[in-house]
Amino acid sequence: MTMLQHAILVLLLPLASAAVIALLLRRAGGAAAFVSTATATAIAMIAVILAVHGDRFEAAMEWLRLGGFRLTLGIKFDDLAALMLCIVGVVGLCVHVFSLGYMKEDGAKARYFGGLSIFMFSMIGIVLADNLFMIFIFWELVGFSSWVLINHFHEKQSASEAAKKAFIVNRVGDFGFLLGIIMCWWVNGTVNFSALAHAHAFSTAIPLLLFCGAVGKSAQLPLQVWLPDAMEGPTPVSALIHAATMVAAGIFMLCRIEPLMVPEALNVILWVGAATALYAALCAITQRDIKKVLAYSTLSQLGYMVAAFGLGSIATEHEGKAVLVAAGVGAAMFHLTTHAFFKALLFLGSGSVIHGCHHEQDIFKMGGLRKKMPLTFVTFTIGVFAIAGLPFITAGFYSKDAILHLAQEKNTAVFAILVFTAVLTSFYMFRMWKLVFLGTPRSDEAAHAHEGGPSLTLPLVVLAILSLVGGYTTHEGTGLIYGDRFKGVLSLIPHAEGWSVVAMSLGILAVGAGAALLLYKSGPVDSLAARLPAVFLGLHLVKESFDTAYNYYVAKIQQRFALLLGALDDILIAGVIVRGCATVAELFGLGARALHTGSLHTYVWWFLGGAAALWAFAAGWFH
Amino acid sequence: MPITLLQTLAATNDWRSIAPEIFLGCLGLALLGLEMLLPKKEHGVIPFAAILGQGGLLIAVLAGFHHAADGPAMKTFGGLIQHDRIGEMFRVFFLITAVLVSVLGAVALAKQRMPKTEFFAIVSVVTAAMMLLVQSNHFVMLFVALETVTVGFYILVSYTRTNPLSLEAGLKYLITGALSSGLLLFGIVLLYGVGGLNGLKGTSDSAMNFGALQNFLAQNPDNFLAAAGIVLVLAGVAFKIGAVPFQIWVPDVYQGAPTPVTAFLAVGSKAAGFAVLLTLAQVFSAYAPLVTSVLGVMAAATILFGNLAALSQGNVKRLIGLSGVSHAGYLLLGVIATLHGQVLAQGAVIFYLFGYLLASFAVFGVMTHLAGEDDADQRREHYAGLGRTHPFLAVVLAIGLGSLAGIPPLAGFMGKLLVFIVAFKARLYWLLAVAVVGVVLSIYYYFSWIREAFFEEPNDPGATRQPARTPVGLIPGLVLTLLAAASVLLGFYQGGLAGIIGLR
Repeated sequence: MTMLQHAILVLLLPLASAAVIALLLRRAGGAAAFVSTATATAIAMIAVILAVHGDRFEAAMEWLRLGGFRLTLGIKFDDLAALMLCIVGVVGLCVHVFSLGYMKEDGAKARYFGGLSIFMFSMIGIVLADNLFMIFIFWELVGFSSWVLINHFHEKQSASEAAKKAFIVNRVGDFGFLLGIIMCWWVNGTVNFSALAHAHAFSTAIPLLLFCGAVGKSAQLPLQVWLPDAMEGPTPVSALIHAATMVAAGIFMLCRIEPLMVPEALNVILWVGAATALYAALCAITQRDIKKVLAYSTLSQLGYMVAAFGLGSIATEHEGKAVLVAAGVGAAMFHLTTHAFFKALLFLGSGSVIHGCHHEQDIFKMGGLRKKMPLTFVTFTIGVFAIAGLPFITAGFYSKDAILHLAQEKNTAVFAILVFTAVLTSFYMFRMWKLVFLGTPRSDEAAHAHEGGPSLTLPLVVLAILSLVGGYTTHEGTGLIYGDRFKGVLSLIPHAEGWSVVAMSLGILAVGAGAALLLYKSGPVDSLAARLPAVFLGLHLVKESFDTAYNYYVAKIQQRFALLLGALDDILIAGVIVRGCATVAELFGLGARALHTGSLHTYVWWFLGGAAALWAFAAGWFH
Repeated sequence: MPITLLQTLAATNDWRSIAPEIFLGCLGLALLGLEMLLPKKEHGVIPFAAILGQGGLLIAVLAGFHHAADGPAMKTFGGLIQHDRIGEMFRVFFLITAVLVSVLGAVALAKQRMPKTEFFAIVSVVTAAMMLLVQSNHFVMLFVALETVTVGFYILVSYTRTNPLSLEAGLKYLITGALSSGLLLFGIVLLYGVGGLNGLKGTSDSAMNFGALQNFLAQNPDNFLAAAGIVLVLAGVAFKIGAVPFQIWVPDVYQGAPTPVTAFLAVGSKAAGFAVLLTLAQVFSAYAPLVTSVLGVMAAATILFGNLAALSQGNVKRLIGLSGVSHAGYLLLGVIATLHGQVLAQGAVIFYLFGYLLASFAVFGVMTHLAGEDDADQRREHYAGLGRTHPFLAVVLAIGLGSLAGIPPLAGFMGKLLVFIVAFKARLYWLLAVAVVGVVLSIYYYFSWIREAFFEEPNDPGATRQPARTPVGLIPGLVLTLLAAASVLLGFYQGGLAGIIGLR
């Protein structure tokens, strides 16, 4: 098989799996789980084969042609796609295996695993797409699969509302995205990525409109509201879709359209990312739900990546010539990769904790799980250190430092924000870590916690190892686990020189972790609220501000406008226009029918009249 | 007359080129011969023989289609007949129509105490005449072929002569048909006369020949007599296609005629009219402003009148007749677009006609099976409960009506779409607006028919007694299945047919 056929196979396999599950295995949950997991295994294997084989290619076929308008479907498999495909494949496999244990007792396993397969199909479609239009199709499909999976426990009011919210908020971003695609096609005459790389027409509007899509999908300010609510879905789904892959699709898409970027647009992107990073980190501090903490942490890290992308290129010398290196792309993709590993690890770890504690999610009712769940504790600790950036041994250190280094070079204000965010990150992560694992159990559930089976622990180990070794890369773009297969992306990573970075990282870690460990007591109440109520209230208000504003808008403005439109529809459209037109047409119809008298005399007169009218036409009376 | 002219004429009498028409004529005679020779109880084979003969000819024509159609256009019989791609396609069209009419005729005539043989013989002859009509290149040929068709229809319309409505319909068709023939003949004479007048440029002693006439008209683009001739010829053709104001005969005749004949009129006769109109539009192209304005007014009036009058019809034969009037209006849009130089317009019209053929015969097929002894009395109430008692017929009906209404993804939708696209390209915005209004109106009556079949129950058995429904035989069932399937398939994939028609 050629590599192109491999790529088509990897795209269509999950679709086939979803079709088989939907058509044949709706009532056979076990078989559906098997089919879906086997598919995920095959995807991971083919993804690695494709990456290792080293072949990079593009292929397209025409789908639709209307005059000068051509729509093509194609595959663009470069180093960027290869890297993303491997992440999706490996994390996807881990999540599938984890789900086997986690969703064992679920009543609707077939729907769940079918949804996972649909998601894998749509996500791989985004990764392999060679043009914006195709990305948009799969963009909507991931939105749909995300809706299905958040809505999994649809008996719960909150879950179905969260699913709806995620879908609708994404629609807002997608509207801008679609406008951007249309405008891009209008201006450049193509939406193909390779053709756009040589585009000559630049405008600020196109990249910013396209960025709207990323704002929705990657939950940046001000559309971040859906992601914390999306935690209503099953925890493995949160790990796969709402931490590692789908929400990162926005950053992946930005990297694809990097040639279209202009400085003004990059500046906007930079500030949106930095603001999201800081805002979400502040919100994370006051959360009680283990998954909500991780959700805000994901928001914050996504803001990091967007900001990294927004920092843009740096000029370096290469063989005596000044060249621009798209360091923003390198840093963003690098952090996306390591984040996918450690955030999936943290989410699956939290899933293991929730599973062990019989679906208790409040961290103040946990505690002392270190002894009850040792393997989860060790791997989760690795995850916490990775996100906090423990120097040398964790992957998060390298990727975060690449971003901080780049910020230091390009923009001091953003650098300060990102450093402060990093301090907050280690603060809230160690807060959670201490409350969950240290101390003594504070509830019956935590006291009777237990480690899950191998399907729950094995993915944790794999992801923990990846979170440790995923950061080793060189200036040339080779890496410990990456080999030299992703040079096109990894060689763009900006590398910091000297010990100042290490010192800074250690400082960040020490301040954040130290403050958290000192401040929080392993008790059932929030120590911050007890000791510094003003700060706690302030943070709480910050978090609530967006929800309040949106609720106000929906309840007071949108709802009333909808009522008004509804009334207009009833009176004007249904009443006057539809009924009125029907009556008029009916009257005319009766009139027309009456003309058919059945009498031959009348008909002859008709013919005579017709002939006379035609004669008049010929004589030019009507000209 | 010089002997050399006769010799050249004789040399161009290529009888092989009209072999299909000759075969059909002979088939008609052979069927009559069979009736004489066979004992009366064996007469059941005659419909089969007719269908077999027409179907075999259809296959033969299809087999030789590319050979005949891909060659250069050829004139035979001293320029009376022109053989080209479009003529070849209409040959196929009319042969399909003939087979379908014969199948329906076999079903419908079984219910009547009527001689059963002549029907198939006349259908064969009329089909041959239609095929000659669309290939004619000369007004004499055109008129003779047209009269052969019309005379055949006089007999067919009043075929069930025990039914007074059928007889009345025949009489009305005879009188209005004679009137329209008169108008047509008057127009032809005017054109011939002015085309041979001394003192004008480009005159010819054979101005009935389309080529010579076109040449003459091009050199005299504002001659009043020529313009009068043109509009009168158009009036004659408008009778055939049922365009306002020459549509007035349609409801009465459609209702009175036996259902298979109604189908033949609605599809075959109308398609013949449009084929002639497509040819004449080219001949009259020098008078394009006049022709487009006449046809434009006709199209708008036809669409609106057909749809509005159909709204309140309870008799489905009248309903389908009036809806057919509106279809003629949509098709006129395509014809007008050809006059605006839209190269795809001819293809669009032909595609529309094929979609219309499939959908109409699906509906007429169902109607034939539902008709009682009184063929003229077919009301919408008779369809109540069809979905429950005869799901097969109901589904075929729904597909046929959906296609006529232009619901995607059926063939009728693609046909409308193509015609509307060429009309849009020709900038016929006002006509398009009228057409869209017409389509919206048509959905109302098509869907109330479908609703009757699927969602209504026969409420009071005594009040509207439904006639006994004919059980669906093997061949009609197969034919109806094919028609419905083709309507769906052609909506999804137009590649093959579109390629042959020349749409791409």
